[in-house]
Amino acid sequence: MLLHTLNRPPTSQVLAQALAGMGPDDKLLLIEDGVIGALPAHREHFNRVAGRLYALQEDLESRGLLPLRDQAVRVVDVEGFISMTETCERTVSWY
Amino acid sequence: MRYAILLLDAPYTSQASHSALRFTRALLARGHDVEGVFFYHDGVHNAARLAAPPQDEPHLVDSWAELAREHSVPLQVCIAAALRRGLLDEQEAARHGKLGASVAPPFELTGLGQLVDLGLRCDRLITFGP
Repeated sequence: MLLHTLNRPPTSQVLAQALAGMGPDDKLLLIEDGVIGALPAHREHFNRVAGRLYALQEDLESRGLLPLRDQAVRVVDVEGFISMTETCERTVSWY
Repeated sequence: MRYAILLLDAPYTSQASHSALRFTRALLARGHDVEGVFFYHDGVHNAARLAAPPQDEPHLVDSWAELAREHSVPLQVCIAAALRRGLLDEQEAARHGKLGASVAPPFELTGLGQLVDLGLRCDRLITFGP
């Protein structure tokens, strides 16, 4: 099980690359501008990783998006980010 | 666990430096060992000794240096990426006939082999890209 981080919004082609590079058990954590993908309007982009999609709380808060997020996206803070890197075998960063 | 951080973008250009610094601080607070932060590509600008951001903004260069001094975290800067961007320590400035150095301890110019070594030696290598 790998952790993938994505720092680009869903309009970026990097999203497709990240999704194509993910295994069936891998998790995707949206960070930086990637957290825009946590909005309900972008839900369709992440159907393939339903239940395995996370967003970084601090980056949601700094953009005012925390209350607007899709409730299906799990929110983790930096501590939670670190915890995910501990449990996942490796971390792949998409940017 | 033993962690290493790879930072690939310049301070104040993207969020990468802020993210990497925040993550590294949280790692240390959680009791992990950070065996090194490696600055590569435009990330080498984090080592710019002469950086002078406005006083009401976070000083990223000083923040890295402070973290290194308080927690003995090695700050390793890719020498090839640094030299071509005008980032030279005293030794390299003398070697290339330049006036003044733009990199100072605790940042150290080092080879790419150190990044390979960090990757092999540490349990986790976390990359913060542009």
